[in-house]
Amino acid sequence: MRLVIDRSKCRKTGQCAYLHPELFRTDTDGSPIVRVEHPGEELRAAAEEAVELCPSGAIALEE
Amino acid sequence: MIREITPTTTPEQLRAELAAFLADPYPTYRQMRDQTPLEYVFLPPGIAPGIDEPMRAWALMKFSDVYNALRDHETFSSARNPLVAKGIFPPLVLILDDPPRHTRFRRLVNKAFTLRRVEALQPWIARVAHQLLDEIGSGEVDIVRSYTIPLPIRVIAHLLGIPEEDRDTFKRWSDTFISSLVSIPLEQRMKNTQEMVEYFGRMAAARRAHGADDLITALVEADIEGESLQDWEILGFCILLLIAGNETTTNLIGNMLNILVDRPELWQQLREDRSLVEPVIEETLRYESPVQQLSRVTTREVVLSGVTIPEGAMVSVFFGAANRDPQEFPDPDEFRLDRDLRNHVAFGMGIHYCLGAPLARAEAQITLNAFLDRFPRLTRGTAPAVRQTTSPIVYGFQQLPLVLHPREQRYAFSH
Repeated sequence: MRLVIDRSKCRKTGQCAYLHPELFRTDTDGSPIVRVEHPGEELRAAAEEAVELCPSGAIALEE
Repeated sequence: MIREITPTTTPEQLRAELAAFLADPYPTYRQMRDQTPLEYVFLPPGIAPGIDEPMRAWALMKFSDVYNALRDHETFSSARNPLVAKGIFPPLVLILDDPPRHTRFRRLVNKAFTLRRVEALQPWIARVAHQLLDEIGSGEVDIVRSYTIPLPIRVIAHLLGIPEEDRDTFKRWSDTFISSLVSIPLEQRMKNTQEMVEYFGRMAAARRAHGADDLITALVEADIEGESLQDWEILGFCILLLIAGNETTTNLIGNMLNILVDRPELWQQLREDRSLVEPVIEETLRYESPVQQLSRVTTREVVLSGVTIPEGAMVSVFFGAANRDPQEFPDPDEFRLDRDLRNHVAFGMGIHYCLGAPLARAEAQITLNAFLDRFPRLTRGTAPAVRQTTSPIVYGFQQLPLVLHPREQRYAFSH
């Protein structure tokens, strides 16, 4: 399982780092950074929610 | 109306100045931006009980200041609004709140507004859009009354699960709620809020008795870590959604059609190439931002652009001005499709980024495609276009007469 951000879609709203700080953080320029690139099963629900909640549709979870 | 108010300024003068600013705030932004952050009189004394001195706020108009304030929600609080503390504004969830309650609530309601949920709603929205256009037909029409007001109200009523026949009342409630105290006195606003509270109180009680597949039911049945929502949270969210869900989208669609009616070549291009629909919507959001400003309050002393703003100061964050800052957008007063579409702050930025952004974008997109399908040409009507001049929060039209030109009839047996 791998969390990926599509930089061409990302609007840097900061929602991922706000709602899922266990998975993302924000760089000084506002860009999101994936904290846990390969989340374990215990973070699956959170990762799926982060994908769903991104207002720019920029986050994907690759199996 | 970014200026000092002298003791001799009459209420009539104030209303007239505010109206002129709201009808076209852009010259003021151009003139003031370089001097911001700048303290100005936000509300004159005597406008409401508890406001005995001029109420001041710091105007932010540079893109960098607006962006930094929006991202730093710890320094720029949404909850500490003095108008809420004085009982002039009801405490709304989300928009007038800070973490941790904001986080808890946002998680709960976000799921109703995701891209996926909005996508599932699109066929229904398109049906409503085409129904409204069928009713309009063609020829001259005030597009605000016949389309840009009813579409978002029907969508939000559908989501909340409230009868859409009440939509004239919804519009009156929303307009009054977002108006300036200078335009609509406190007494009338309090009565307005009371009506909304009673209405949604009845709706919530009905859903408690019989659940349905709508947001109000989701709210009354919500369980956050073993706790249900309090009544004021439920009512506060209903009121927020009703207002935010219709005023903003009404103005986005109106502004977009107003921009396009003067650009017949772009209209033709759009008809042939629908990949331009998205850039047109995003550039409309930047160029004529439907939400022009919202307030914050500083929780500590803070320096922006070298200017020190003290702790406890009210701050007016002008999204509309930031979106025309030449430092961020070259030739900011030109409507151009070759910009980076993701940089504007029309939906805000950071933790309060507009919950309904995917829905607003979908409504604008469905509208533009429906108009392009039906009308080869748009022109202005004979009656004048009139901007709204009572709300300092939004920018849009009160009346926008357009002539919708139908496709030419083709006869199968013309020869």
